[in-house]
Amino acid sequence: MGASITEADMERVDAALHEVYDPEVGLDIVTMGLIYRVEAGMEKVIIDMTLTTPGCPVSDSLPEEARQAAARALDPGGDERVNLEIVWDPPWNPEMIDDDALADLGYRRVTD
Amino acid sequence: MAVSEASVTRKSPPSGGPPVSPLAVPPAWLPLAWLACAVVGLIGFGTTLAITANTIVHAPGAPTAVATVHIAMLAFLSTAVLGASHQFGPVVAGRRLRSVTAGLITLALWVPASWLLPFAFATHRPVLLEIAGVLAFSAVCLAAWNLSGPLLRRGRGTPVLGLRMAIVFLVLTAAFGATYAFDLHHGFFLLLPRRVLAHAHLGLIGWIGLAYVAVAEKLWPMFLLAHRPSTAAGDWAVRLVAGGVPVVAIGLLIPSVPLTSIGAGIVVAGLTAHLVSLAGVIRHRRRRMELLHAYVLTSAVMLIVAVWAAAIAGMFETSTAVRTRAVQTEIFALTMWLALAIVGHLHKIVPFISWSRMRKAGHTKAPNGRPLLFAHLVNAPAARTAYITGVIAAVSGTAGLAGSHVFLVEICGVALAITGLVVLVNLTSGPLRIIAIDKRAATESESESDSDATTETPTPVAVS
Repeated sequence: MGASITEADMERVDAALHEVYDPEVGLDIVTMGLIYRVEAGMEKVIIDMTLTTPGCPVSDSLPEEARQAAARALDPGGDERVNLEIVWDPPWNPEMIDDDALADLGYRRVTD
Repeated sequence: MAVSEASVTRKSPPSGGPPVSPLAVPPAWLPLAWLACAVVGLIGFGTTLAITANTIVHAPGAPTAVATVHIAMLAFLSTAVLGASHQFGPVVAGRRLRSVTAGLITLALWVPASWLLPFAFATHRPVLLEIAGVLAFSAVCLAAWNLSGPLLRRGRGTPVLGLRMAIVFLVLTAAFGATYAFDLHHGFFLLLPRRVLAHAHLGLIGWIGLAYVAVAEKLWPMFLLAHRPSTAAGDWAVRLVAGGVPVVAIGLLIPSVPLTSIGAGIVVAGLTAHLVSLAGVIRHRRRRMELLHAYVLTSAVMLIVAVWAAAIAGMFETSTAVRTRAVQTEIFALTMWLALAIVGHLHKIVPFISWSRMRKAGHTKAPNGRPLLFAHLVNAPAARTAYITGVIAAVSGTAGLAGSHVFLVEICGVALAITGLVVLVNLTSGPLRIIAIDKRAATESESESDSDATTETPTPVAVS
C-alpha cells in the first residue's frame, strides 16, 4: 500500500507543471491550457493533458516531460504515483490560454 | 529515464491521426544529415544556375543545362524530401524505419550519386553516368524498402497514403533514369522531348510534389495551429495528384494528346484542391501570420504560375520557341513551388529535431537561463533574409526564363545560392551557439570548483 496524496503533494505537482514549457510557444503547459485535470487519486496523482494539435511536434516528449516533472515533485517513489493521460476531448484551442498570454502572443480568438 | 508507457496513456486523436510513439522517432542525426546535404544541394543548384544561365536560356537541352536541372532535382529537392520522409514517415505512421543503418547507407549512396550524375552529364562521361545511375537506383530501392516499414501501415490517414504513393513515383522516376542509362548501349529509348517531359513530371509532381502535398496535410495544421472542420480538400488533393500523374506520363509516352489532357486536368484539379486546403488551414489558423505563412503562400503563387505556364505550353497554338520558354518556366516555377516550401518548413522542422536532440544531450536552457525553445535555435532576421532572397530568385528566374533574359537567370542563381548559405549557417549556428555557451559555463563551473577545492586544502605543515 503506497502513501496517499496530500494537499502539499498537489501543490508541488502544480508548481512542477508550471515549469514545463511548450518549446514552440514559450509558455508553460498550465498557462497554455494543456492541463485539463490534476486530481488526487487514492495513491496517485491523475493528470489529463492534451496537445495543441494531433501530431504536435512535441507529442512524444512533452507529456513525458510533464509526467517526469510531476513524478519528481512526488519523490520518493514519484514514478509510481503519477498517472498521466493524453486526452483530445475537448480539443485544445487558444481560448484556453491565459488571457494576458493570449494577447501577448497575438493568437486569434475562436469566432466560428 | 526510460519512457513508461504504463504511466502515459494515449488516446487516439479525434481527427483520426495517430498518437506518436517515441520509439518510432529515428535518431536526430539521420534526418538532420539528409537535410544539411539538401541545403548544400540548394547552394550548388544556385551556383551552377548562375554559371550556366546563358545555356539554360538559349539551349535548355545542352548537357550543362541538363546537369543544372539534375542538381536541383537530385542534390536539393529529392535529398530534402528523402530526409524529411525518414523523419516524417516513422513519426506519423507510428512505426519505426526498417533499419536506421539502411537510412545512413541510403544517404551515403544518394548524395554522391546526386552530384556525380550531373557531373557526368556536363562532362559527357558515360561511365560516370552509369556508376552514378547504379548508386542512385540502389539508394532509391533501399529507401523504398526502408520507408515501406512505416508507410505500409494502414489507417494512418492521407499524409501517409500520399507519401506511400510518392515513393512509388520515386521508384518509377528512377526506373526511367535507369532505362536511359541502359539505352546508352542499345538505342531503343531515344531522348524525345515528350519522354523527357514524362520523366520530369513523374519526378517533379509525382514524387516531390505529391510528397509535399501529402506531408503538408499534417504539417500545416500543426504549424499554423489550425483546427479545420474538414480535411476533404487535402484528401482530394492527394488522390487526384496521385491519380493524374500516371495518366499524364502515359499520355506523353504513347503519345496521346487526349490522354495527356485528361491527366493534366486531373492533376490541376488535385493541385487546386491542395490550394483550397491551404486556404482552409489559413482561414482556421489560430496564430497570427508569421514567416512560414509567407513562405507557403509565395510557394503557392509559384504553383499557380507553373499551371499557367503549362497551360500556355499545352493548350495554345504557339511557336516552338514560345512553347519551349513556357515549358522552361513551368518546370522552374514547379521547382520554386517546392523549393520555397522546403526552405520555409526547414525553419520549423530543423529546430524541432535539433531541440529534441539537444534536450537529450542535456542542453535544456537558453542563454538567458529560461527553458530552451525552438525560437532560440533560429535567428529570425536571417530567416527573413532567406525568404527575401528566395523570393528574388523566384521572381527573377520566372521573368528570366519567360522572357529569355540571361542576366535575370544569373541573379536567380546567385539569390538561390545566398538563400542556401544563409539557411545553412542559420540552422547550424543556433544549436552550436547554445552548446558552446553550455560548455563554457561547465568549464567555468569546473574551474570554480577546483579553485574552491584548492582554497579549502589545508596548508601543509613543514616538518623539520
